[in-house]
Amino acid sequence: MLEWIGIFLNWLVAGLLFPLLFIPLARLVAHKSNSQFFIWLILVLGSVTLASFFLISLPEKGYAPFRPALGIWALSVVIVGALINLFGGFEKWGHQLSELTNKLTRSTARTVMWLVIVMALVQFSIVILRYVFGVNSIWMQESITYMHGAVFLLAAGYALITDDHVRVDVFYRESSERRKAIINLFGTYTMLIPVCLLLLWTAAPYVFSSWQSVEGSNETSGLPLLFLLKSLIPAFAILLLLAAYHTAYQNVDKLLIAKQKKRTF
Amino acid sequence: MDAFLHGVGVCPCVVVPYLDIAMVITLCALLLLGFPAAFSLAGTALIFAVIGMAFNVFDISFIRPFPQRIFGSVTNTTLIAVPMFILMGVILEKSKIAEDLLDAMAKLFGSLRGGLGISVTIVGALLAASTGIVGATVVTMGLLSLPTMLRRGYDPAFASGSIAAAGTLGQIIPPSIVLILLGDAISNAYQKSQLEAGNFSPEAVSAGDLFAGALFPGLLLVGLYISWQIGVAVFQGHKAPAIPAAELGSKKEIWGAAARILPAPLILIIAVLGSILLGVATPTEAASVGAVGALLIAGLRLGDDKNLSSAPPRFITRLITGRTAISITAGSIFGLFILTQFVDLRLGRSDISPVEQVTIWIAMISCLAILPGIIDSLRTLLKKNLASDIVDQTTRVTTMVFTILIGAALFSLVFRGLGGDETVRHTLEATPGGVIGAVAMVMLVMFILGFFLDFIEITLVVVPLVAPILLGMGLDPVWLGVLMAMNLQTSFLTPPFGFALFYLRGVAPPEIKTSQIYRGALPFIIIQIIALGVLILFPQIATWLPDQLYG
Repeated sequence: MLEWIGIFLNWLVAGLLFPLLFIPLARLVAHKSNSQFFIWLILVLGSVTLASFFLISLPEKGYAPFRPALGIWALSVVIVGALINLFGGFEKWGHQLSELTNKLTRSTARTVMWLVIVMALVQFSIVILRYVFGVNSIWMQESITYMHGAVFLLAAGYALITDDHVRVDVFYRESSERRKAIINLFGTYTMLIPVCLLLLWTAAPYVFSSWQSVEGSNETSGLPLLFLLKSLIPAFAILLLLAAYHTAYQNVDKLLIAKQKKRTF
Repeated sequence: MDAFLHGVGVCPCVVVPYLDIAMVITLCALLLLGFPAAFSLAGTALIFAVIGMAFNVFDISFIRPFPQRIFGSVTNTTLIAVPMFILMGVILEKSKIAEDLLDAMAKLFGSLRGGLGISVTIVGALLAASTGIVGATVVTMGLLSLPTMLRRGYDPAFASGSIAAAGTLGQIIPPSIVLILLGDAISNAYQKSQLEAGNFSPEAVSAGDLFAGALFPGLLLVGLYISWQIGVAVFQGHKAPAIPAAELGSKKEIWGAAARILPAPLILIIAVLGSILLGVATPTEAASVGAVGALLIAGLRLGDDKNLSSAPPRFITRLITGRTAISITAGSIFGLFILTQFVDLRLGRSDISPVEQVTIWIAMISCLAILPGIIDSLRTLLKKNLASDIVDQTTRVTTMVFTILIGAALFSLVFRGLGGDETVRHTLEATPGGVIGAVAMVMLVMFILGFFLDFIEITLVVVPLVAPILLGMGLDPVWLGVLMAMNLQTSFLTPPFGFALFYLRGVAPPEIKTSQIYRGALPFIIIQIIALGVLILFPQIATWLPDQLYG
């Protein structure tokens, strides 16, 4: 059962999320032309080929469902692309998806952010209990670790949208809007998205084995939820991917606007 | 596929042994583009992992522990201090306590020549806890005090130099979050070097050690800065004129304001720092006390809305809301810690005497008395719509720091896999001049990196690579950490790339020329170099206090 859920999730990410991530790029390349679909197809197939090279080079011990997933992955990529193209192309759907990912990452982070204060208050209670009454509570201490993990792992995507991830902006600061958008798109597609996928792939067996044994705490009276804490790692990657989609879409918007301006002048 | 890749790989084969070096160069180039550093780090790593695999010089098993590394940064208890210190700083900033502090200080010293400059330095040192990111302090101080200083006729170069320098002070004076990160990195490095040297039960170096080590060098810098400012005020009075006493208000008002504003934040900072240095509390525990303390101060600062209560509040209401409640809370917390000094309050013992039993009950009641003040402060913040701002800001800064941690983890995994560790080791060991040469080389590299990278990135990427080797040569970990911190701080002040100067340029009014900012920073760079020299000649400045405190 659990294994099937794992396989399903893998396919979901590989087959659905991954191709969707290319919508902004395809929109940019194929702006106002009818060849959208083909250009997009080439992009995706190219990336699938590259990713296959990467996956095939994984040693035998790797997570087995990856290999058969590849074929279905490529297939679903094409089907999903065709569907999207059929229903009004990327403009409408892509935009709606962008709004959706924005809302999703934002609301997740804006929910977990309150844990920051809860965390400080719980830690404060621990200090009082420990220094005054000599009472140690392992589950309280562990709950802080959980909150800490939840805050920074689940808010990373949000920070991407709000542009809070620190940049080396010696040159970036003075670049034009257009240049900034190009840099962001370049970085998103060559670095951010591949890294998130890598994280998903390496985290899958790690989290999977934790779920299989419903891994609890190492301490006897700790919180028995270690498997949930570990699940935050793939969640971090997925939220970042969603945020990457949104920022990429917005950057493409900026580029297209810049293009139009150029034409009018 | 191998054949295909081999075909491609014939030509650049020469590069293959140098992939690790190429990786660093690529990283620098990609970082300068301006894409977020965390993802540039991880992205470069991934690109080179794939290249390495194509040439069969990289084993994929090196990146398998990536999720474990992330999990390690979640469960690392020292690092949990980081969000709490950030929370404390953000509360102090958003509730305008930092502004009040600067204002009160400026009034206190304003009637002296150079007084505004001195107050900027002191506040910069006090705000150390709040920020590890150079930008934040410089921006805050630049926005708050630069216009005032200019209006009062301060020399633009002198004013901007003072602010930029004060902004970087926050990094080296504990408890700054970069010192926590650096402490963690140094401690891991020390453990590694000790294990390699065959010592299987090495003494641990903690963030607390580094805090203690950085205290005196930090204070030394504060002292030198202030001496310079006094010097300028005395010998070049026109650069730092005094504010006419008439404009400041009466002496009574000034001292009254100072007495109202200064004590609470001061006590808080001293309590937090003191408890860490004395080894009473871990940084995480102290940080939580600091955050709650900041919350209470913010409640006090913002809570006195007199127009809200038309009718005089009833006794009970007054007891659980407003100033009274916060005072009771603060009193209870102090009372509790004083009680524990005299009476054994530990529960779950078999031999509790009647006196102790009664005191335990009293302690429990005062625990309850803590609650109203905290709740009331939280309510005030919520009512002023500050609470969501504060947690939002804290969350963003926290996730930014830890995402870099994640990116750096992947980078170091791949760098290691490509043999970068060995390259760094060989280079350092081959540096002429032995230990001194190696340290000088590392410091030079870090200084140059400091032009492009923030403290956090350097701490997380460079320190794990070089520190084990340097520490293996027998250097003192605390001294090395403080030296690195001070070196980077100097780098942030150095034109044309210094971070602090850049941020100040961003908030400075346009009539200030960039060249004036550079010129203003120069004397402070010289001070930094003097302090570095003193630290190198007399390592005891850094190592004495940790030795005294922790033996």
